[in-house]
Amino acid sequence: MVGFSAISAGNGWLISALGISVVFFGLASLAFIISFFPRAISWWNEHAQTPKYFFPLIRSLFVQRRRKASILTETREIHEPGEIDDAEEALRLLTAHTGEPFKLPRLIEMAEQRGLARVHSTINRLLVRGNIIGGDDGLFRWAKASGEEGPVEKKSKSPNEALSVNQASTELE
Amino acid sequence: MITIEDLKKHEIFAEMDLTELKLLSAMAEERHAREGEELIRAGSPARTLYILQEGGLMITFPDGRAITLHKPGRVVGWSALVSPTHYTASVTCLTDSTLIAFPGSELLRLVQRNVAFGTKIMRKTSEVLSRRLPFLQEKDKRLLKQRS
Repeated sequence: MVGFSAISAGNGWLISALGISVVFFGLASLAFIISFFPRAISWWNEHAQTPKYFFPLIRSLFVQRRRKASILTETREIHEPGEIDDAEEALRLLTAHTGEPFKLPRLIEMAEQRGLARVHSTINRLLVRGNIIGGDDGLFRWAKASGEEGPVEKKSKSPNEALSVNQASTELE
Repeated sequence: MITIEDLKKHEIFAEMDLTELKLLSAMAEERHAREGEELIRAGSPARTLYILQEGGLMITFPDGRAITLHKPGRVVGWSALVSPTHYTASVTCLTDSTLIAFPGSELLRLVQRNVAFGTKIMRKTSEVLSRRLPFLQEKDKRLLKQRS
C-alpha cells in the first residue's frame, strides 16, 4: 500500500490536521499572552513601589536610569555662560573619541543620542563665539583654548558683530 | 508679506531694478523654521529657494561634511533653479530662523521670460554653486558640468 491510500490507512490526514491545529493554537496562545505584556508592564510600573526582591530590584535600576535620562532631556534653553561651558565640555568629550577635525552633523547626532539639551542652538552659540571653527574642507575643530570664550565674543557686543569677524571660519560663503 | 525693502537688504538682490524686485516680492513668502527643523532634505525634489533673513543654518552634504550659515542674505536651495531640481544637500536650522521662500517653478518662469533678470539670478546662483562645488558628490558635479 502506497500513496494516499497508505496515508488514509495510517490516519495520516487526521494526524496532519491535529498537528496543524496544535501549532496554530500554540502560536495563537503565544500571541494572546504577548499582547498582554504592555498592560502587565504598565501595571508593574504602577504597583511595584518598593524593591524587596530580585525583580523589583532590577525594575528600580531601570526606573533610576529613566529618571536620569529625563533630567538630561529637559528642553530649557542654555543661556548662562557656565551652562554653555558645561555643554562645551560635554561636546568636547564626545569629539575626544572621534578626534579632530570632526563632522558637525555627527557631533550633533551623538549629542542628541546622549540626551544633551538644545544641541543645535548650543552648537550655534559655540560657532558664533568662535569655540568651534569651521574649515574650508567642511570639517570642524575646537578653538585652541579649552574652556575659554572665543576671541570674537570678547571683542564684540552682539552675535551678529561676532559673525562679521568670525565669518571665514563658520561660513564658507 | 515680503516687501521690496526687505529684499533690498540682501546683497543677492543688489543688482535688481524696481520692476524685478516687485515681481520677486509678489512671489516671496516669509517662512519661520524651528531650531533643529530639517528645512531641506537631500535627494528630495527642489521646489523652493530660501534666503536667510535671521537665524543660523547648517548645510549637510551626503558625505557628512557641513557648512554653517549665519549671515542674512545667504542662499539655500539653489537646486530649485538647476535641473534635475533635486536638493543635493540637507539644510537644518541651528536656531529658530526666518527665511524668505521663493517657489522654484515661479522663479524659473520669471528667469525664462526675462533674460536680463535671468542672467542676474543665474550669476548669483553660479557664485553660490562655485563655493559649494567642493562639497558636492561626483555625480552632481558631472551633471552640473553637462548643464553648463
